Amino acid sequence: MSSLMGHILRRAFRSLWENLYLNLVATGVIAASVLMLGVFLMVMYNLNAITHSWASDVHVSAYFHQDVPVERCFDLKEQVAAMEGVEAVRFVSEEEARAYLVEQVPETEPVLAELGDGVLPASLEITLEPGMARDKGLQQMVEALALPELSEVDYGQQWVERFNSFLALLRLLGLILGALIAVAAVFLVANTIHLVVYSRRTELETMRLVGATDDTIMAPFLIEGLVQGVLGSAIGMVGLLAVHRWVILRLQQALELTLAEDPLAYLPLDYTLSLLAVGALLGVLGAWSAVYRFLAKAP
Amino acid sequence: MIRLYHVSKTYGDHAALQDINLRVAKGEFCYVTGPSGAGKTTLLKLLYAAEKPSEGKVMVGGVDLTDLSRRRRPYLRRNIGVIFQDFKLIPSRTVAENVALSMEVLGYPRATIQRRVRAVLSIVGLKGKEGNLPAQLSGGEQQRVAVARAIVNDPAVLLADEPTGNLDGAMAIEVIEILQAINLRGTTVLVATHDMALMDRFPYRALRFVSGKLVKERPCRL
Repeated sequence: MSSLMGHILRRAFRSLWENLYLNLVATGVIAASVLMLGVFLMVMYNLNAITHSWASDVHVSAYFHQDVPVERCFDLKEQVAAMEGVEAVRFVSEEEARAYLVEQVPETEPVLAELGDGVLPASLEITLEPGMARDKGLQQMVEALALPELSEVDYGQQWVERFNSFLALLRLLGLILGALIAVAAVFLVANTIHLVVYSRRTELETMRLVGATDDTIMAPFLIEGLVQGVLGSAIGMVGLLAVHRWVILRLQQALELTLAEDPLAYLPLDYTLSLLAVGALLGVLGAWSAVYRFLAKAP
Repeated sequence: MIRLYHVSKTYGDHAALQDINLRVAKGEFCYVTGPSGAGKTTLLKLLYAAEKPSEGKVMVGGVDLTDLSRRRRPYLRRNIGVIFQDFKLIPSRTVAENVALSMEVLGYPRATIQRRVRAVLSIVGLKGKEGNLPAQLSGGEQQRVAVARAIVNDPAVLLADEPTGNLDGAMAIEVIEILQAINLRGTTVLVATHDMALMDRFPYRALRFVSGKLVKERPCRL
């Protein structure tokens, strides 16, 4: 290590220690920012995962007209089963549909008895291969099911599409919110480090007068910013882990949210590393901005 | 060593320096004198490239400072020591650390820095005070620390802006004697002062400025 690098590192760590309070404030700001970004990312990640699993698991119900003979229904079942992207097809007779409805909603039994036969149509319950619903596959399948024997094809895609639109809006809002949080964090960190720079202005002015380059003056502050950033991110992520364990999972249990079969997940490794990098970048950018402001005015 | 050709410096409507032509030879000791607002500090600022002239050309050690880029400024300053009236010492650093700062930013090894700092503090009469904080020193001693910091890199030019302004008579004489000793080692010294008694006691060449104009020159009487 060169002597200059040694001096720069010593200056950085000495300043971290000597301006402990201000450095802790900057670290806290980064930790809070990373925590906010992390909570948002975690929510987005889980929503994405849930819609992805829903989209992969779309069932299509094709309802027969009342007058279609059972044999024809079975013919069509075979025809549909042979279609590309179909995993399984089950024929549900009117009786089975009635029994299922009564099982699920017992209050409907007297109403159904009153109405007699021919109220609930027979149907084909089609399970698609995973991923089939995401591309154009589902649309093509629905078009192929436009048969005279079938009165209605229900695949719940509208709901998934609406949810996806909602998710896209949420993503956009998230992007704006994330950018605002990042800008606010840079601003706060820059102002905090600016206080450190201000308290050391005599030293920095002297450094310039004795021939220090801007890079030599800037470098210790960037190292300080990096340390604050990494430390702040680490604290923010510990907070995120606590939020996940103590708030999100408990909330999911308390509200009996069954949106997802599994418990809502913590962020995967690549997201975690990205957050760490964002925190480090916040620290470095904040430091750079503060020292740049000082150097721009220095003689 | 120092050349000014028709140099003027204005701040808005105010002319701090007007059409100055000047030459200070290598190894010379020279005063810049005059009342407050005469342009003494502005002249020194032009010489260590803290300001650019509005007109004319400033040369120090053969380098034209007129259009010196910000990137090249530090390399010029490594050849120029600057001393201020208010010392500009770092209160939280010891005497040795204040002096070492000048060498640290240039990347000297620690052992070299320690050796050189000890030697320079010995020259300015502060041997044994290496570990003191500035607040534990008298005004004269603090100014000697500032002198040590300015000369530790062995600059070719030493600029002192009212170096005795905050000191009593005896301490002021001590500081000028140190500057004199540094000058005898070959460093060009330019001292801005309005202390006539001091200039009479050490009668080097003096340049008198009034309202930004060089109005009178007194030759060296030594």
